[in-house]
Amino acid sequence: MEVGFLGLGIMGKAMAVNLLRNGFSVTVWNRTLSKCQELVAQGASVGETPAAVVNKCKYTIAMLSDPSAALSVVFDKDGVLEQICTGKGYVDMSTVDADTSSKISKAITSKGGYFLEAPVSGSKKPAEDGQLVILAAGEKALYEDMVPAFNVLGKKSFFLGEVGNGAKMKLVVNMIMGSMMNALSEGLCLADKSGLSQQTLLDVLELGAIANPMFKLKGPAMIQNSYPPAFPLKHQQKDMRLALALGDENAVSMPIAAASNEAFKKARSLGLGDLDFSAVHEVVKAAKDSDSA
Amino acid sequence: MASVCIHNLHRLLLPLSDNYSSLRFTDSSILSMAMALTSSSSIFRCPRFHVSPLRRTPRSPRPPSFFSTIASSQTSEKAGKGGEFTGRVGFLGLGIMGSPMALNLLKAGCDVTVWNRTKSKCDHLIDAGARYEPSPADVAASCNVTFAMLADPESAIDVACGTNGAVKGMGPGKGYVDVSTVDGTTSKLISKQIKDTGALFLEAPVSGSKKPAEDGQLIFLTAGDESLFQTVASLLDIMGKSKFYLGEVGNGAAMKLVVNMIMGSMMASFSEGILLSEKVGVDPNVLVEVVSQGAISAPMFAVKGPSMVKASYPTAFPLKHQQKDLRLALRLAESVSQPIPIAAATNELYKVAKSYGLSDLDFSAVIEALRAKLKQSE
Repeated sequence: MEVGFLGLGIMGKAMAVNLLRNGFSVTVWNRTLSKCQELVAQGASVGETPAAVVNKCKYTIAMLSDPSAALSVVFDKDGVLEQICTGKGYVDMSTVDADTSSKISKAITSKGGYFLEAPVSGSKKPAEDGQLVILAAGEKALYEDMVPAFNVLGKKSFFLGEVGNGAKMKLVVNMIMGSMMNALSEGLCLADKSGLSQQTLLDVLELGAIANPMFKLKGPAMIQNSYPPAFPLKHQQKDMRLALALGDENAVSMPIAAASNEAFKKARSLGLGDLDFSAVHEVVKAAKDSDSA
Repeated sequence: MASVCIHNLHRLLLPLSDNYSSLRFTDSSILSMAMALTSSSSIFRCPRFHVSPLRRTPRSPRPPSFFSTIASSQTSEKAGKGGEFTGRVGFLGLGIMGSPMALNLLKAGCDVTVWNRTKSKCDHLIDAGARYEPSPADVAASCNVTFAMLADPESAIDVACGTNGAVKGMGPGKGYVDVSTVDGTTSKLISKQIKDTGALFLEAPVSGSKKPAEDGQLIFLTAGDESLFQTVASLLDIMGKSKFYLGEVGNGAAMKLVVNMIMGSMMASFSEGILLSEKVGVDPNVLVEVVSQGAISAPMFAVKGPSMVKASYPTAFPLKHQQKDLRLALRLAESVSQPIPIAAATNELYKVAKSYGLSDLDFSAVIEALRAKLKQSE
């Protein structure tokens, strides 16, 4: 099967490599073209522009970092829209708000193309290991066509109905994740301040009802003040902002998410945006250091 | 030498009746001598029971034997799991947690004496073979080690230090293990009162609610007298799947509060997620499934999620106790100047839930506080 792949960042690169390794023909594009070379070494072809990729391929996947990048590859000059037509499918796996997804969907389908939003749950390592959880919505026929690719990229995929549902599901999941990260950070700080071993806290958590892979993976690094980016903090904060906006539109009270978002905002203002989202720990800790009692 | 002393003690005690308070009051000097000559743990062998040395065969209930010799050994001193406790165990507080914990001890063949503020709650345990005493003091007096599982700091203090409290029945050679979840100050208060009698103290709050209690899968977060921890290790192993010894009194309490603070925040955030997905037209059951597939998959979400979606909150961990734990965690954080805004926001939500009358439902009912808020904002 041949697919186009737009966007070779942390996620896109790992996903494209997986497809190549599993026998797919992949034509890649990235805003910084030099990033394509690594993929070329693994057997990919290069498209000079998003339009060139769509021209060549029946199916094109996009993995961009935020709503503005996702809109840009579609609507800008040499963008997807210039070459999308009947018989071609566009699968946007970026995490965006429902409005952005809807806008892209309308533009694609008005030119006769098929559209599927398919944001993923999972960061760098699950992307490398083909263990993503795919939250698809939109054109069911396109979803069905993409199943072979989804089976390579992920461990499970869901078809959630109309465009917007995948985006919303992703935002809700990441909202919970952002709050959980803050809760873990508060717990580690409180344990430390109370004279307890932070590692022991992690050991206790691992045994009980609130054990989860994220705590297990991130906890030890946080104790070491180490935040190698698997999921950049700026993207987590973007997701919290979008989730809060969704709640805002629907008058849903979300005090915990709001408090979590504040912590991520503060972290961004301290220049921690490109570190892993667990770097919010520095904000929770910093509050301790500033107390001069 | 040690075994001879205990053997003599045993002979002395043989004519005595079943009355441990008389043992304590009339033979305390002998007890003290015995204590001085043996490891402190071996004192917890009731002289009327046969004591087996360290062995690895599975436990089975043994009938009391009036004429056995006590083996002097350091079986449970260091052995932990292998060394068995064969004395009399007291259990104060037979609520959601205490009842299955005491029952597990009984099923494992322990000699258990119970007390509960509402006596009727003792009935099914008495039916299962437990003894009964009419006050915490009487239980403590008649037992080598007494456990207490109360709902909150006030009850824990009252049962330990109040009128006819456990303290009145404690003394050298005995141990008090408080498995209630309280703040460090309360624990230290109880510890001091217990230790002033010459007894040993261990705080041992648990992580795990009703089902883990029933299944003997609790996690003990202990602190205090390490020798008492070693002595009761086999009992903790009956009731639980793991145990931690964390040092001085207060550390176990603090660890428990930190864990439950994280848990409360996670439950509140999960509630927001379920509610948001409902409101924006995404199936919350699918959200629960998606969560279970990813990095934030936790047993709590998988267990509670489906019932929360159906607005059903069967009580495994009462909401009022979760809010109590958050309140205590906030107090702990304040005492060490650690801001915890997410926990503070979570506490507010639990307070709202309490104000809606949801205190006795499962703590997952906090989602109703958000739902109710939703109604008011429309």
